[in-house]
Amino acid sequence: VAKLCVCDLLVAQCDVNCCCDPDCSAEDFSLFTSCSVPVVIGDSHLCSQKAAVYSLDVEANPPERIFKIIDQVNPSIFCIHATNYKQALYLKSPEMPTPENFDRLLDKFGGASFSAEPDSWNLDTDVQDPPDANETHRYEYGVPVQTEDAFLRLPSPVVSSWCSDANPAGFLVNQATKCIRSVSVEKCDSIQALSMLFYINSSILASVFQVNITVQSIVVQSLNGMRNVLNDSDVLRLPVLLGELCINVVLGVNYHITYTDTGEIIGAAAAFVLGAISKEALSIEQSFEISFTQENTEPVPLCGNPGYVVGLPVRAGFQPQGYPCPAGFLSNKHSQLTILQSTSTQDCLAAQGARAPVLFGYNMISGCTLRITAAMKCQPLAQTLLDVLKGQSFPEYVASFGNSQAQNVLDWVPITQLHISEQRICNTLQSSCQIPVSLGIEVKWTKYGSLVNPQARIVNVTATITTTTLKQLPSGRERIIPVTSSVVFTDISSPAEPGYKAWPTINIKLPFDFFYPFV
Amino acid sequence: NNSSQLSSLPLHILLYVNGIYYIFYFLATLAMIIYKSQVFSYPDDFLAPDLAVLFLMAILEVPRLYLGFKGNLTEAEAPLGLSLGLTVGSVVLCVYLLLWQTYVLWADVVLNAVLLSAYGLESGLKVTAIAAFVS
Repeated sequence: VAKLCVCDLLVAQCDVNCCCDPDCSAEDFSLFTSCSVPVVIGDSHLCSQKAAVYSLDVEANPPERIFKIIDQVNPSIFCIHATNYKQALYLKSPEMPTPENFDRLLDKFGGASFSAEPDSWNLDTDVQDPPDANETHRYEYGVPVQTEDAFLRLPSPVVSSWCSDANPAGFLVNQATKCIRSVSVEKCDSIQALSMLFYINSSILASVFQVNITVQSIVVQSLNGMRNVLNDSDVLRLPVLLGELCINVVLGVNYHITYTDTGEIIGAAAAFVLGAISKEALSIEQSFEISFTQENTEPVPLCGNPGYVVGLPVRAGFQPQGYPCPAGFLSNKHSQLTILQSTSTQDCLAAQGARAPVLFGYNMISGCTLRITAAMKCQPLAQTLLDVLKGQSFPEYVASFGNSQAQNVLDWVPITQLHISEQRICNTLQSSCQIPVSLGIEVKWTKYGSLVNPQARIVNVTATITTTTLKQLPSGRERIIPVTSSVVFTDISSPAEPGYKAWPTINIKLPFDFFYPFV
Repeated sequence: NNSSQLSSLPLHILLYVNGIYYIFYFLATLAMIIYKSQVFSYPDDFLAPDLAVLFLMAILEVPRLYLGFKGNLTEAEAPLGLSLGLTVGSVVLCVYLLLWQTYVLWADVVLNAVLLSAYGLESGLKVTAIAAFVS
């Protein structure tokens, strides 16, 4: 212990306040104020051991260091008298590599990372023994979905954007990933990750039998981005080199897994997007998605539960025969509150059909420009612009909560429609042509519920159409007017008042016959 | 010297005290092994022999004491001789626990030393008793 010194950090130089430093001379010791390491000792559990004690004698002038080696005795009756186990009180030193154990050590520690349990992620088929087929294979949330040889893979970017095939899909964890894979057209039929077989090859282990992954649909994407759904999705299409292109390359896989309410997987289907890559392409982007559905249910994702969540679409609907229809918001044809989406051409008349859903909490503004020529007739133009602004099916009601049921009529807020006309010249000629030039949707929402976890609730929706008069143009002249549509979300919640529970009252009442004989 | 009674009273007392002390010794040593396994690093292949020796000693102790009592009271030298033989085995195990255990605490040293001295004294008294019974 006399040679050990923890505070001796600088080589051949004296460390400040380090009394055990051998590089320090007597003059250095006289400048110290205290000893940072007063005692150097082995394990304090031992009954008797040597300890090196360093101290500064500040009384002497100049101060000098006192160094003593004493026998430190542990007075406890449970002190260690002797050990017959060499590594008992020391840290385990790592194995020295020798020619015999070098390969084993390299396997274990040679990668970029190693963990205490390397075998659980091992993809070798001879290391993993398949679980007993008789036991029911139940999954819990987050547990990797097991297949015959390893796990159901969902390639995803790790660290960089390149695809890594070692990402397992977790049960009930809906994921969508995009990653880049390097390709070469000449070897496109030998790269495994580009062929359909790689993704549906293994069957998922579930309950008593194995579930094969079926092909649900195949969409073929051409080089310019156009997608077609193929009618026969039973044929397995493998990548094939055709001249300068490689076709049937997997660009996207969408897994749909069906499970029961006890956690057993009963079905798996994969929808593929196949595409073609040209000779110049060095890398392609693949996108993967997995979603889990419980059997016999139709998934209806909620836009918030109960309050709206910022970023999720606002649910809207119609009320034919006194009933709002529930909105399935995955496609626009089911009445969703939508707003005109600006296109690159910026021409209102050519922009028919492109609409963006209104997301809660996001104020949006979009628009287009309209070229008016002399030949245009007013009424059809006004109608067209109204269609462009409002869309094909503008809803009448908006759900006030993210999870409002279609049957609760009171949970739906009607959309108030206002018309404002900008009239430049105040004339009483109402018959002159009015065309709508802007649609402003104002959604007023409030915070509802408890102070700790307030939920967003839509209280009022107002759609304002501003119209302007269309003056007749002399022939040959054109005018360009901008048409805008906007959505604004306003928080009208009143300041919160905390409500406290009433003080508990002590209710003591004597029974009426307490003083019986006397009263 | 009562010539009619050859049984040794000190041996009887010592055996009785030994029995009581052994129960305490066994429980204390077991508790200390558990304590050691929690506080220090005690791998399984070092823990197993120590526990085996302790339990073996406990198993040996019962017939040893029984034979000692019986031999002394019936003044027969055969059970007493057998008990002496078992004492030798117990001494060996006790020495193991004193010297070659994985961790020997100070309390271990004290307990084992006391037990060893009791064994030694007992053996002496047994030899004397056997000599008295034989002659």
